[in-house]
Amino acid sequence: MIRMSDFLSKLRNISQGQELKIAIVLAILGGILTTVAFVMAFTTANMQYHDFTVNLPTFQTNPETRIPLATPEFQPQPPDGTVNYLNPWFSQKIFYFHVPVAWLSLMMFTLSAIFAAIFLKTRNPKSDLRSRIGMETTLIFTLGTMISGSMWTRAAWVNSWGEMAGKLLSEPRLVTYTVMLMFVVAYFVLRRSVDGEEKKATYGAVFTLLAWLIVPFSYAFTRLTQHTIPQAHPADALNTGMDPSNLLPFIVCIFGMSMLGYAIYTLRVAEEKKRMQLEVIKEDLEDALSDSHKQVGHADLMQQYSAAAVLGTATDKTENKEA
Amino acid sequence: MPALKATGLDALHPVLPNISSWRQYKAILRKDIAQELRTREMVTSMGLYGMLVLVIYYIALSQTGLDFDVTRIAAGLLLLMIVFTSMLGLNRSMIHEHDQGQLEALLLAPIDRPIIFLAKATTNLLFLLIVQIVVVPVFYIMYVSGSLPVQLGEIVPGPWWMIALGLTIGSIGVAGVGTLLATISVNSKGRDFILAVLFIPVMYPLLLVLVAALNAVIGGAVGFESVFWMNIAGAAIYNAVVIAAAFVLYDFILGV
Repeated sequence: MIRMSDFLSKLRNISQGQELKIAIVLAILGGILTTVAFVMAFTTANMQYHDFTVNLPTFQTNPETRIPLATPEFQPQPPDGTVNYLNPWFSQKIFYFHVPVAWLSLMMFTLSAIFAAIFLKTRNPKSDLRSRIGMETTLIFTLGTMISGSMWTRAAWVNSWGEMAGKLLSEPRLVTYTVMLMFVVAYFVLRRSVDGEEKKATYGAVFTLLAWLIVPFSYAFTRLTQHTIPQAHPADALNTGMDPSNLLPFIVCIFGMSMLGYAIYTLRVAEEKKRMQLEVIKEDLEDALSDSHKQVGHADLMQQYSAAAVLGTATDKTENKEA
Repeated sequence: MPALKATGLDALHPVLPNISSWRQYKAILRKDIAQELRTREMVTSMGLYGMLVLVIYYIALSQTGLDFDVTRIAAGLLLLMIVFTSMLGLNRSMIHEHDQGQLEALLLAPIDRPIIFLAKATTNLLFLLIVQIVVVPVFYIMYVSGSLPVQLGEIVPGPWWMIALGLTIGSIGVAGVGTLLATISVNSKGRDFILAVLFIPVMYPLLLVLVAALNAVIGGAVGFESVFWMNIAGAAIYNAVVIAAAFVLYDFILGV
C-alpha cells in the first residue's frame, strides 16, 4: 500500500529530464489512443439515433427552472411538429472529439489560472512561465473546439426546414466560447503591449484570474439559460445517457486528448526553460567577451569586425590595425 | 510596529496621524471631483461622445422605414452607447493618474491600497451616472417613446425606474471592473485599444443579462417583470463575484 504523501514526494522528485521522457511517451501514447478512438468511432460505435428526431414539446424547457433571456413573445419560435436533422451520422461522429477538446480547453485554462495565482503569491518566474504556456495550450484547444464545433453546427443544427435551427447568434453558448477565445488572444496582446518582465507577468496573471471567471459562468450558462436551439448541445446528449459502444471510444478519446494536452504543455515548458538558459548563457558569453576585449583594449576592433562581417566587406582596415 | 522600530522610523510615527479609512476614501474622492470640476474633461467628453453615438444610430437606422420596430433592439443600442462612453471615460480617469504621477503620490501617501480601488471605482461610477442622466433620456425620447409602435400604443414600456435600476447595476459592474482594467491598460503601450480588448470580454455575461432585462422592460410584454428580476439577479451575482475579484487583484497591479 503506497501512502499518498510518499507518492506526492516521489512526484516532486521527478527531474526535468525524466519529465521530458514522460511527456514524449505520453505524446506517443496520446496520439495512438486518439487514433484508436477515431477508428472506433467510425467502425464499432453504434448510431444511437438513426432518425434523430426531436419532439418539440420536450425541449421547450420549463421557464420555472431556467433563466429566460427574453419574454415568451420575443423568444425565437421553432415550427410545430418534429424536426429531422439532415446529417445525424456526422454530428454523432464529431461528438467524440468535440467534447474532449472542449473539456481540455477548460482544464488547461484552469491550470493556467492556478499557476497565475501561485505566481501572484510567490513571484516565481517559473510559475509565470507555466501559466503562459498553459494559456498557449488553451489557445490550441480552444481553436480545436471552435473548429470541431462549427463542423458539429453544420451537421446538427442545419435541419430539415433547411435553415439554421434558431438564430446562431442568439445562442449564448456559442458566443460564450468565442469570448473565451477572445480572452486568450487578449492575454497575449496584453503581454506584448507591456514593457518589463515583471509587469508582463503580473498583469498577465491578474487578467488570467479575472478571465477565468468565465469558466463557471460559461458552465452555468449552458445549463441555466433557456435554449434557443432544440437538443443540440453535447451537454444535453450526455445527460440522456450513452450506449456502451459509444461510451468506450468517448472515454478512450478523453484519455488520449488529456495525454496529448499534458505532453504539449510539458514539452513547451521544457523548450522555454531551455531557451531561458540559452539567453543566460548568451549574456554571460557577451559579458565575458567584452571584458576580455576591454582588457586587451580591442573593443573598437571587435565592433569593426562585426560591422565588416555584416557588410560582407574585406577587413583590410582591421588587419592593418592588428599589424 | 516592529518594522518601524527596526529601521529607526518610530520617531516619525507620531508625525503620521492615524487617519481613518473613511477619511482616506473621502480625500481621494474630493481630489477626483475637484479635478473634474476644474477641467470638466471626463463628463464633457463622455457626454459629447454619447450624443455622437446617438447621431450614428440615427444614420444607421435612417433607411429602416416606418414598419421597423426600433424598440426590439433599443436595449442593445442603449448598452452599446454606455459601453463606448464608459471606455472613453475609464481611460481618461486613469491617464491623469499615470501621466502626472498621481498614482505614485497616492502610493506614497499613508493610504490603504484597497481604499484607492474603492475611491477610484466610486468616482468612475459617479461620472458614469452623471453622463447617463444626461444622455439616456435623449436616447429614450429618440428611440423608445418616439418610435411608432409606442406612439400608436401597441407597445407600452415598463416603468422608467426599472431601466434606471438596470443601468445603475450595469454601471456598478462597469466602474468596478473598468477601474482595474484601466489601471492595467494605461501602463501598456496600446492604452485605449488594450482597454477595449480586455474590457469587452470580461463584461460579456453582464451585458448579455442586462440586455435581456432592459429589453423585457422596453418591450413591456406580458410577464416582463419576472424576466427583468431574474436577469437583474444574475447581473447582481456577476457584479458581486467580479468586483470582489477585482478588489483582491487590484493590490497586485499597484506599484509593479
